[in-house]
Amino acid sequence: MSLQINNLHATLENGTEILKGVNLEIPAGEIHAIMGPNGSGKSTLSKVIAGHESYVPTAGHVLLDGIDISEMSIDERSRAGIFLAFQYPNEVPGVSNANFIRAALQARLPKGEEIDAVAYYKSLYEKMDLLEMDRKFTGRAVNEGFSGGEKKRNEILQMMMLSPKYCILDETDSGLDIDALKIVAKGVNAMRSPERGMLLITHYQRLLDYIKPDHVHVMAEGRIVKSGGPELALELEEKGYDFLKEPALA
Amino acid sequence: MSYQETATAILDEETHDAINIDRTKGDFTFPERNKFDAGWGLSSKTVDYICDVKKDPDWVREFRHKALAVFESKPMPTNWATEDLNNIHFDKIRYYLSDGEKPKRTWDEVPAEILETFERLGIPEQERAFLAGVEAQYDSEAAYSNMKEELTKQGVIFVTSAEGLKEHEEIFRPWFGKVIPTGDNKFSALNSAVFSGGSFIYIPKGVKLKQPLQAYFRINSESFGQFERTLIIADEGSEVMYMEGCTAPKFETATLHSAVVELVALKGAKIQYVTVQNWSSNVFNLVTKRGLAMEDAEVRWIDCNIGSRLTMKYPGVIMKGERARGEVISIALANTGQHQDTGAKMIHAANNTTSNVVSKSISVGKGRSTYRGQVHIPKHLKGCKNNTECDALLINSNSRTDTYPAITVKGNRHATQHEASVSQVSEEMLFYMQQRGLNEGQAMSLAVNGFINDLVREFPMEYSVELKRLIDLEMEGSVG
Amino acid sequence: MSSTTTLPTWLQARQQAAQQRYESTPTPKRGDEAWRFANIKQLNFENLTGIPAPADPADLISRSVGIENPVAKFVFLNDELIHSKISLADAIICLPLVEAFEKHSDLVEQHFMKQETRLGSAKYAALHEASVRNGVFVHVPENQIIDGTIEVHHWISGGVTIFPHTLIVTGKSSKVRVVDIFHSADTETSGLAIAFNDLCAGQNSRLDYIAIQALNEVSRIISINETSTARDARAKGFVLNTGAAWARNESLSRLEGPGAHSDMLSVSIPAREQEYDQRTFQHHVSEGAYSDLLYKNTLYGHSKTVFSGLIFVDEKAHHTDAYQTCRNLLMTDDCEANSMPGLEINADQVKCSHGSTSAQISDEEIFYLQARGIDPVRARQLIARGFSVEVVERLEDEAVESLVLSYIDEKFNGIAKD
Repeated sequence: MSLQINNLHATLENGTEILKGVNLEIPAGEIHAIMGPNGSGKSTLSKVIAGHESYVPTAGHVLLDGIDISEMSIDERSRAGIFLAFQYPNEVPGVSNANFIRAALQARLPKGEEIDAVAYYKSLYEKMDLLEMDRKFTGRAVNEGFSGGEKKRNEILQMMMLSPKYCILDETDSGLDIDALKIVAKGVNAMRSPERGMLLITHYQRLLDYIKPDHVHVMAEGRIVKSGGPELALELEEKGYDFLKEPALA
Repeated sequence: MSYQETATAILDEETHDAINIDRTKGDFTFPERNKFDAGWGLSSKTVDYICDVKKDPDWVREFRHKALAVFESKPMPTNWATEDLNNIHFDKIRYYLSDGEKPKRTWDEVPAEILETFERLGIPEQERAFLAGVEAQYDSEAAYSNMKEELTKQGVIFVTSAEGLKEHEEIFRPWFGKVIPTGDNKFSALNSAVFSGGSFIYIPKGVKLKQPLQAYFRINSESFGQFERTLIIADEGSEVMYMEGCTAPKFETATLHSAVVELVALKGAKIQYVTVQNWSSNVFNLVTKRGLAMEDAEVRWIDCNIGSRLTMKYPGVIMKGERARGEVISIALANTGQHQDTGAKMIHAANNTTSNVVSKSISVGKGRSTYRGQVHIPKHLKGCKNNTECDALLINSNSRTDTYPAITVKGNRHATQHEASVSQVSEEMLFYMQQRGLNEGQAMSLAVNGFINDLVREFPMEYSVELKRLIDLEMEGSVG
Repeated sequence: MSSTTTLPTWLQARQQAAQQRYESTPTPKRGDEAWRFANIKQLNFENLTGIPAPADPADLISRSVGIENPVAKFVFLNDELIHSKISLADAIICLPLVEAFEKHSDLVEQHFMKQETRLGSAKYAALHEASVRNGVFVHVPENQIIDGTIEVHHWISGGVTIFPHTLIVTGKSSKVRVVDIFHSADTETSGLAIAFNDLCAGQNSRLDYIAIQALNEVSRIISINETSTARDARAKGFVLNTGAAWARNESLSRLEGPGAHSDMLSVSIPAREQEYDQRTFQHHVSEGAYSDLLYKNTLYGHSKTVFSGLIFVDEKAHHTDAYQTCRNLLMTDDCEANSMPGLEINADQVKCSHGSTSAQISDEEIFYLQARGIDPVRARQLIARGFSVEVVERLEDEAVESLVLSYIDEKFNGIAKD
């Protein structure tokens, strides 16, 4: 059981290659982190896995528990178990959070089956309490007028409600103060499970103090250039990304 | 597949269903069983035929003939409106069709086919559930008209316009044609010449109706024009909500619906007029609606246009008394083959009057929506206020939206503001929602519902079968 | 003077055709959409009065005060050049139009009145084309940056009609700023100006055009602006109306390439019986372009304004950003403001909005200034001035901003004396 990325290449619509052969396997039960400088292709990787149409996959595969998801649409991938916590979550004016999450859950049920409203709200409130979110959030339009921290918490809330098999968190720590970061980490840690794999994409080591990864990968120029244990993150923090440029380490 | 292609493909099925109202519901017809048929085309003979069948008093006959002359003298307003109006062939329309029966007071008396029609549309059921009275019009005449007994005791009048002008001339005649003069526009003149059906309502002083009155307009026959005429008078301090719905089967040929609705809210009275327009896409819907609000009175038009081939409708309020209030809340949805040309007219004619216009339109596929507004605040008044907001949502690269407001303010003791915006459901927003597992159609319909959400709340919840589906979509996700 | 110069044949042919077009085009009448709310009576031009005064050119030249050290300066009296001073690089063409017809006939022909006048004054554009005698032609070649300002004064003297024309063409990555100022030689004789300005902003260029209309209050003006903006070009058009009995401005901006940017700005301060009638058109032909219109009117006396603006987005002009705002500040009980902001959107992924407000200065605002010791009359003036300044500041050139403000202040001072 794993999320497996084999030799993944992707270009922009204009032909510029962003991913140049990414290889990565995230077994269920593990947390992996990808670090790397700006423009290394980290965020692109997350969007390509999710099926964003601005990128054209030109080679390679993404296998979810052995099944190739490359031909699936964005929503099929989501329902198959891929969750992407966005770096910049979109606003959906006029649609309340409660309705939105409910609609997403409903989309996962077979035709004709309805969500039990009481159980739904019970579960929603539990998770909101854990993330220290005010009850008023349910009635507010998705991400509209939310602060950066509120948006990120809302992403984690959605993740908890949809309980995906594989979670990709794109720069979830950016724009968070330390208290908000702790709350978000609490939510993510609560999601840790032998059945679930997670991929944290981050620029900074800070997040990894609160969410301990099993493996750390470094991405540069569209490839994974180095992999190691949690100590690699510390090394990066200390030496910066420049040390990767030494040929011996590449 | 590009975003646009996918959107179109999906819109045809799921989104179409979701953001569209079920139009198949009204798409059925029964064989005509008309005893009276004015035949094709319009002439003074047609007018006389209608007068004879309806046994109109002389003053009405004279009124109709004068109106016919005005109609014939006026050009089509294609100098500002769409050329599509030229596709109306007045000689290929039948102006009066009825079975010659009087409107029935109970559904049991209504002929079987007509009863089945309205049952399929859910009207008797709604009447039992929450209405104070119902009038159901089938082609030119009402088949059913009834009101709760206690209202009759309070002096409320709710009858057809024909009954109103004969039985209640003393109330009817002074206001008839006064809010909307015959010559207001070509189609008000047409209606004045051949009107039949519609409601006359009088609410006595101080009577406040708790439940709405409803009219339902049904076209059954092909190549037919429906020209109902409604006059509502709310006497001092009274309150009423009137709702109208409409459907027609989808014929190959064009059908014409051209109503005139006049509202009179006397001192301190309040009239709310709710429309859910769901004509089939072969109907030209050219309607003139205007209210007169006296001192401290309020007229609200709540208008939803979903159907028709071309709708031209600009509900207006003349605020004639101090502190009168006028409001137009409007939702329009234009799909491929449709043009929703709607708007509002706010005429301030007294001090400290206020008006508010909120309009939201959605253009889907090749649909086109247009907002036209007029706000007039004359000299030597003070303290008048207008607020106008119109927002348009486009769902496809072929859709189109236009906004043409006109605001005249004279003098410096007033305030007006107008805001309009056009936006799209962005690709990134769709990606976000799809990443949560909603398919493109579901994501689109959620975004569309989000756009009109705040206006949908203005419609009475229990109301029509049509709007309910729209609300349902929002309700699907909201429990509590 | 140069009026004896033979005109190029292409122009002669076009003038003949234009004369015919003028004669065959009907005069606008009531009920024409493009003249809604307009005072059609103002189109009767037979009642111009006053003897073509023997204005003293020297006097007018001395009264042609603008900014300090313009890079070029022209003074016209009834379309005849009476003064010019040019200090520009040789590569830059900056000439009276008559001279340009002669020396740069091909270049002028390429750009002269290329767009269709579609905002109602087609008849008067034809008359202008048939009758144009003079004006200024500016052509800035590729990469030439003109930091200063070209200043042009147009004087009307007596009951005559002038047809000033300003044609500005900017080459790739060049920059220029031109100011036209319209004056009357006296306060009594009623003249007429049918002015036209043609602005062609080439790729990545920057073109600023400022028109100051300060005619006397018995004169009239129709001024037609047509701007085309190429890829990544930025055009800025500004109109100030303080003078004239009646002014009609038609301004059309075509956005022809991605990244094109057009600012359309105006300040009008009508008083007494003045009437200003402004029609605008933001035409998004290309995708990915930006236009922003801000018109502000401050109305005194029995004055009247009409604003009719349309944002028009062509079918293929996706990713358009277009904004339009018209604000009216109503200063008296007898003024009248008409606004018709419009949108016609045929493309996708478009951000467009328009807004229009009409209001008076609130009592709270006056109270606040009074509480600081300012008398209410002065307070109202300060607020009204501030209302206009917000637009003037968008000119982003100190010298021109203070020139415009000097005309605004003169108008306010005149109003205060009423």
